Amino acid sequence: MKKINTFLRSMTFGVILLGLIILFSVAGSVIPQNNEVMYYVRSYPSYYQVILTLGLNRIFTSWYFVVTVILLCINLTLCSIVRFRRINEEDLVETALQGKETVELDPESLDKVRLELVRMRCHTRQTGDRTVYYKNGFGRYGTFITHLGILFTVVFFALGMSLPKITDQTCMPKESLVLEDGTEIYVDTFSITDSTGRLDYKSVVNIILPNEKESGLTEVSVNHPASAGQYKVYQQTYGTIGRITVRDKKNHQDTFNIESQDFLSSDGKTGILIDNLYPGFTETEEGMQLITSTSGRYENPVYVFVVINETGQEAMLAFPGDSIDVGDYTYYFEDPVEYPGLRIKKSPAYINLFLLIAVLVLVFGLAVTFLWIPVVVLVTPAGYRICSQKAEGLELRLKSVLKKEKE
Amino acid sequence: MLDVFFFGGIGLYFLGMVLRFFGQVWKKDGLTKASWMIFMAGFAAHTVYLVMRGIQAGRVPMANQFEFAVMFSWGISVILVFLHYRLGLEWITTVAMIMAWAIYLYAALLPREIHELMPALRSVWFVSHIGSAAFAYASFMLAGASGIRYILIHKKDKEDERLPEIDYFIYRLIAIGLLLLTVTIVIGAIWAEEAWSSFWTWDPKEVWALITWILYAICLHLRLSRKMTGVKMAWFAVIAVPVVLFTFIGVNTIIPGLHSYGVVLSRLM
Repeated sequence: MKKINTFLRSMTFGVILLGLIILFSVAGSVIPQNNEVMYYVRSYPSYYQVILTLGLNRIFTSWYFVVTVILLCINLTLCSIVRFRRINEEDLVETALQGKETVELDPESLDKVRLELVRMRCHTRQTGDRTVYYKNGFGRYGTFITHLGILFTVVFFALGMSLPKITDQTCMPKESLVLEDGTEIYVDTFSITDSTGRLDYKSVVNIILPNEKESGLTEVSVNHPASAGQYKVYQQTYGTIGRITVRDKKNHQDTFNIESQDFLSSDGKTGILIDNLYPGFTETEEGMQLITSTSGRYENPVYVFVVINETGQEAMLAFPGDSIDVGDYTYYFEDPVEYPGLRIKKSPAYINLFLLIAVLVLVFGLAVTFLWIPVVVLVTPAGYRICSQKAEGLELRLKSVLKKEKE
Repeated sequence: MLDVFFFGGIGLYFLGMVLRFFGQVWKKDGLTKASWMIFMAGFAAHTVYLVMRGIQAGRVPMANQFEFAVMFSWGISVILVFLHYRLGLEWITTVAMIMAWAIYLYAALLPREIHELMPALRSVWFVSHIGSAAFAYASFMLAGASGIRYILIHKKDKEDERLPEIDYFIYRLIAIGLLLLTVTIVIGAIWAEEAWSSFWTWDPKEVWALITWILYAICLHLRLSRKMTGVKMAWFAVIAVPVVLFTFIGVNTIIPGLHSYGVVLSRLM
């Protein structure tokens, strides 16, 4: 049992686990993740069975990846406990006072060393003619805090990745989305450019929670989600949709959004069959040639449709502002409407807060480890001794002071 | 005008590098000193180029692969200048000059047009995320440069008195690089949560940043426990450079992902 415990908390085990995580990560970055099975069959005809059998297509949620991370957490926990105990048991200054100098120096050189240590703003503790210069005592906790930071980061990262529920939805301006728990997201407006004409996808939404608390009209744009309660709403994508208003002879009218092929008819026989709304077109010598824009912007939109009536069918084009009479109805082709694709995330707010604290602990731990290096130096009338561990910088500094003196 | 400073910087770096090389080979102090002055002139041109491009673009120039490469190379030069003047380190200069020039030259192969910042990059985290990445990579590159220097000296004389100092600086550069890379990843995660709703998406760029982080973390862990010092540490610093370069260049150009907007179609492709 003791052997297992020693192995589980050992650095060797930790390094093996980190090596495995690197291996899995390389595989996960080379093999595209979370695609349909057919994607792997088509892309890797010779290896797809290996990929699917070993779960290399979902490597970051595979059992072996999760087990590796759990073992790493155990390794970090045990290692942190041992480190904390060891640090607390040590009193480096007191131990140093009992020690013996290792670098023998003449009094003049020793004065240089003392001066350098004072220049470094070290504190002193003296017993008789033995002085210990020390500072950055807190630096001893650096590696412990770093380990703790990594552990907390991994744990809250796992929670942060598994707890949120994310859905992508589209919503037309002036309409609402109603979520499972009754939360309503009302989209007031959507625009893809700002007042200067610069691309800036922006929705104005109101999030109304089931308890009737609401966010008020709030702007949602890329990098600026809106939040209310456990919900966060992100500006994710956008789309463009055609609109046709149909009016009868008595001036009753209705407006339809054209999402796919639609047949607008009152009797199922006479009407218009909408093929599509295209973002632009070019006119060639032979006639008009339709194109689909790749920029995603509808700069010169055109409707393609088929008029169907008793006399037959006729393919036609119409531009926003045009209208056509078919049967008892007039069809008005409106300007296309842009609408947002929103990402809705529901997650407990405390997860992000805890994760933020964990990563701050990690950064702080690294900063303490590498920038706040403990200094403990015993100086006796015969020489000095560096008692703190990991004090190579100090060693070089004192050597350089003594070297300069010789020169 | 911008191009004058851009190509002027590359040319001066190259000239400084060549003079330095001959100064070292022929042991001519005058040449070595002149090479540093020329390098500094190149660094000034490089700095002016970045400032002017920033003014022209109306933002910090770090929005695509080209601008990041220029910033990355500038980061190497900044650290080199700091090491030279503040700590009086000479031994790192030759290899570091080559690295700064090589990255700058890589930038010259990429399209230089200034584009408006796309909405996804308009964030308060933009400068700190990309800036810390540039300086993290620069630290790792300089650690690699120091590693090369260490190995060369070690081959000649295992007891050379410069070796402990170089070894210590490899460790310090990696430590600072790791700290900056941690800041990069943390800020990137916060930004990703604001932009994409998830602080981690296992995007190839994220994965390779994590791989780089783990590699250097292992290295420092072994170093702190005294299991990797001296020539082993130097070899590690050198061998890890391709990983850093792959994270910077390889991932953006070879593996498509959420960070691919960093690449404006390269003339290399």
